[in-house]
Amino acid sequence: MDATETPAPDQHIASAASSERIIEMTGVNKWFGAFHVLKDIELVVRRGERIVVCGPSGSGKSTLIRCINHLESHQEGQIVVDGTELNADVRNIDAIRAEVGMVFQQFNLFPHLTVLENCTLAPIWVKKLPKAEAERIALAYLERVRIPEQVHKYPLQLSGGQQQRVAIARALCMRPKIMLFDEPTSALDPEMIKEVLDVMVELAKEGMTMLVVTHEMGFARMVADRVIFMDQGEIVEQAEPETFFNNPRYDRTRAFLSQILAH
Amino acid sequence: MAEPARTFRAKPDRPAPAQTVGAVGWMRRNLFSSPANTALTLIGAYFAYWVIATVVDWALLDAVWQAETRRECLDAVGRSGACWPGVFVWFENLIYGLYPKDQIWRVNAGFALLVAWLVPLWLERVRSKVAIGVSAVLAYPVLASYFFLGGDKGFLWSASIAAALTAFVWVWATAIAERRTGRTLGELVLARADALDADPRHHRRLLFYTAAAGWLVAYALVALWYLPYVTTNDWGGLFLTLVISGIGITFSLPAGVVLALGRRSELPVIRLICTVFIELFRSVPLITILFMFTTMLPLFLPVGVEVDQLVRAIVAVCLFASAYMAEVVRGGLQAIPRGQYEAAAAMGLGYWQATRLIVMPQALKIMIPTIVSTFIGFFKDTTLVSIIGLFDLLNMARAIGEDTDWLGLFIEPFFVVTLIYFAFCFAMSQYSLNLERRLDTGQRS
Ligand SMILES: Nc1ncnc2c1ncn2[C@@H]1O[C@H](COP(=O)(O)OP(=O)(O)O)[C@@H](O)[C@H]1O
Ligand SMILES: [Mg+2]
Repeated sequence: MDATETPAPDQHIASAASSERIIEMTGVNKWFGAFHVLKDIELVVRRGERIVVCGPSGSGKSTLIRCINHLESHQEGQIVVDGTELNADVRNIDAIRAEVGMVFQQFNLFPHLTVLENCTLAPIWVKKLPKAEAERIALAYLERVRIPEQVHKYPLQLSGGQQQRVAIARALCMRPKIMLFDEPTSALDPEMIKEVLDVMVELAKEGMTMLVVTHEMGFARMVADRVIFMDQGEIVEQAEPETFFNNPRYDRTRAFLSQILAH
Repeated sequence: MAEPARTFRAKPDRPAPAQTVGAVGWMRRNLFSSPANTALTLIGAYFAYWVIATVVDWALLDAVWQAETRRECLDAVGRSGACWPGVFVWFENLIYGLYPKDQIWRVNAGFALLVAWLVPLWLERVRSKVAIGVSAVLAYPVLASYFFLGGDKGFLWSASIAAALTAFVWVWATAIAERRTGRTLGELVLARADALDADPRHHRRLLFYTAAAGWLVAYALVALWYLPYVTTNDWGGLFLTLVISGIGITFSLPAGVVLALGRRSELPVIRLICTVFIELFRSVPLITILFMFTTMLPLFLPVGVEVDQLVRAIVAVCLFASAYMAEVVRGGLQAIPRGQYEAAAAMGLGYWQATRLIVMPQALKIMIPTIVSTFIGFFKDTTLVSIIGLFDLLNMARAIGEDTDWLGLFIEPFFVVTLIYFAFCFAMSQYSLNLERRLDTGQRS
């Protein structure tokens, strides 16, 4: 779990959060059938803020961030993303999704398209950019995630770490305002975790609004403005990393942290 | 105290032992790896020799090549050699049915046109391949049916033929333009008119006028063009088999895609309609569907409306084939992980975009072997149209043995028909293997 060394607190990247509320969840409840998966979620994210979400498996972390781009729909409460409320008959859901990038645990690259085509697909078809322009942007981002000379390969010819970096570049090519990461390093071999986290740290330095579900506590200490702990569908506790790691308020949080930092 | 770290150096690669590579290595591993394997190899080789020798004796060495009737053949060699003259006399019918002899060039021209239409798809540096493929599916049948049918044409018929002709000219013009200049015909036209930078609506209008001008010229030519009418009753043999199976196969893929998507739709009505259709046509043998269409269709049509027997057969085959193809495509769709849909949705792609760009290409690709097997099945199933009195390749072969001169001559025509079917089906399956290899992007590694 501690693939990145825990940095000293002064290595924490300065917060870029503004006062503008870019995500607002109020009284959000969600059920899968009879199973109550999200309970009275209250969450405000400001533009430029970086939030790390952690918690035991099955606590609803994925469901929470998937509600933000409406991959899951909630039944009660209000979610407002960049001024648009998400509800059942939201018409411009595709427009919102175009502004919210998402990176998945399993990468979910398109195996039938080359790395470059993976990155240009949505800009061409959703943003209607000319192909040359989309390629220029894609090459720039692929360079930034350090995928050199691989742009004409197919995803399955790359290593896991490379694939995840392509997935990040693919999301960035849409020039999103918010990036959601759902356990981006959990499916990777240990030696590849760092190369992906490095890319995410750089992204954080540039002031991207990020919601990251991860158990990489070193990353959380260095990057997060706020760490959120979830259990059984509830946000148990949220605090700045300093407070969260050194002085958690709830016993549940302490138990979780001691488990995850044990080795 | 720790020793200083040692430097690791990888050993250089050595070539594999000689017994495991090359032709000798291959034979050792695959044919003679054990006594049992060696025995099987020898028995198999002897069996293959025996079959081939028997067939060669019958078909070539002992065969009769010149005779007037089957009687003469029997007198000469009995049953130990093939009697080819009967097949020679009937060969044209095996291929073209009863199509008038002086008009047969039209059938050949129609198939040559298909090849000409498809050739640009295999050329390098051609960019508009999708559009060319679509034009082949939509426009080629119009032009081909006038070649095959002929007869008088009203305005609509002429207009469609002219449009198809325009499409064909466009296919080759743009293919040549793209190979020579790297730009499509449309781009060249716009460049010529200095309109590349103008607003897109202007582009569309300019291209539309160019196409319309092409169509007018084509219309004038088509109006002057007349081919005598040939009734579908005279169609037969390989020609008929290819027409029925070609239409069935071409129709089944898009229809199957639509039905498969419909069956997975979130709208209950659409899902119900598609499910009922698929299950209905899949649970009834093709023969039954063919029978129903010939005997029961008139009940549903107004009195006096006659539907050509061939059209009935084609409609029946199309419905049957699309129901089957729908299930094949659905199998492919089920193999696509949810993450693919989610990744597409998360980037803002809508349902149709995700289906067309992400899901379908992958689903169809994994299903290529099954799709082609199904095609091969359809191709062979067309032999059933003989039930409703059409003289397809197989039925034509059977007819030879009923000719008074060649009474009882069945084996030879069936042998030839077997070779023809084999050639087509083998070509299809080889093409599918080739396609799989070319589209492979590493999933199977
Ligand atoms: N589509 C679904 N249908 C039913 N239950 C689901 C579905 N997705 C997730 N769940 C359940 O909801 C709970 C929370 O899931 P999830 O948000 O994925 O948790 P986490 O990401 O924190 O591990 C789990 O118990 C899971 O089994
Ligand atoms: Mg999860």
